Amino acid sequence: MLPYLTKAVSNLFHKPSTEQFPAGDPPKAAEGYRGRISYDPEKCVNCGMCIRVCAPQCMERTIEKLENGDQKITFTFDMTSCTFCSMCADFCARHAITLTDDYMIVGTKPEDFLVTGSFVKKAPPPKPRLTPEQIAEMKAKAEAAKKAKAEAAAKAAAAAAADNG
Amino acid sequence: MFEKLIDNSMAKSPWIFHINAGSCNGCDIELVSVLTPRHDAERLGFKLTGTPRQADIVVVSGPITVQTRDRLVRTLAQVPEPRVVVSLGSCPRSGNVFKGSYAIDGPLEKYTHVDVSVGGCTPKPEAIMAALAQAAQILAEKRKEMHK
Repeated sequence: MLPYLTKAVSNLFHKPSTEQFPAGDPPKAAEGYRGRISYDPEKCVNCGMCIRVCAPQCMERTIEKLENGDQKITFTFDMTSCTFCSMCADFCARHAITLTDDYMIVGTKPEDFLVTGSFVKKAPPPKPRLTPEQIAEMKAKAEAAKKAKAEAAAKAAAAAAADNG
Repeated sequence: MFEKLIDNSMAKSPWIFHINAGSCNGCDIELVSVLTPRHDAERLGFKLTGTPRQADIVVVSGPITVQTRDRLVRTLAQVPEPRVVVSLGSCPRSGNVFKGSYAIDGPLEKYTHVDVSVGGCTPKPEAIMAALAQAAQILAEKRKEMHK
C-alpha cells in the first residue's frame, strides 16, 4: 500500500508525462533521425546516382537548355513519395543530399512537400571555327604529306629491291 | 437557436475515423500511439470512432489497393458533411514503393478531396498531431461556411 501512496503523492508534484506538443515547440527528433531531404545544388554534379537507387522514384530531374548552350538542371524531391531510406544520401559522391531531422512534413498543398534545387551546367568552350580557305590549306598540306610518305616508301622499296638483286 | 452552441461544442470534439486502404500497418500504429497517454490526442477532443457515420475527420492510410478501393469509396460516402480527409503517410498521395503496381489504384485524390496530408514513412506522432490540429481548424471553418 505504502509504495502506491508515495507514488501517488509524488506524482502530485511532477509534470504530466503526456507531451504538451500542440502547445509550444515540437520536440527534437532522435539523433540520426531521417527526415525531410535537403539538397544542395552547388555540390551536385548531375551524376544521376540518386535517381538510380531511389526505390519509390521520388525525384525528378528536368534538363532545360539555355540560349548560350548551358544547361539548367533542376532536381525535385517529392516528400510524399519518399521512404526516407537514405540511399540517395549514401550514394551521393558529393554529399549534395542529406536527410535533416525535420519531421514536420504537414501541409495542405502539393508544393508543401517538394524540395527543389537547380544549378547551371556550363557548356564546354566552343571549338574555333575554320574558314574554307584554312580547311583547303590543311587539306593540301595533308595530301602533300601523304605523297611524300608514298614516295619515300617507293624509294625504300626500290633500294631494297636493288640490294636484293 | 442552439446552432451556435452545437457548432462550438462540435469544434471541441472532432471524431476520427481511420480507414486502412492497404497500409503496411506502420502508419496505423503511429496513429494509435497518438491516442495513447504519451501524446494523448483525446485531451484535445479527438476520439476514434467505430463507424464512419459519426466521424468528422477521416484518416486514410495506405496506397489504395484494388481490393480496398470500392470499400474506401463506399465508406467515404457514408461520412456526413462537413468532413475533412487527412492522408496519412506517403502512400495515399503517391503509392510510395508500391507505385506502378497492378494491385494499386491510387492516389487518394482520384476519389476524394484531401484537406491535410502528412508526409513521412512513417510520420512521427508529433507530425500527426499537428495535422489533426490543422484538420480540426479546417473542420470548424467548413462548418461555419455550411451554416452561413
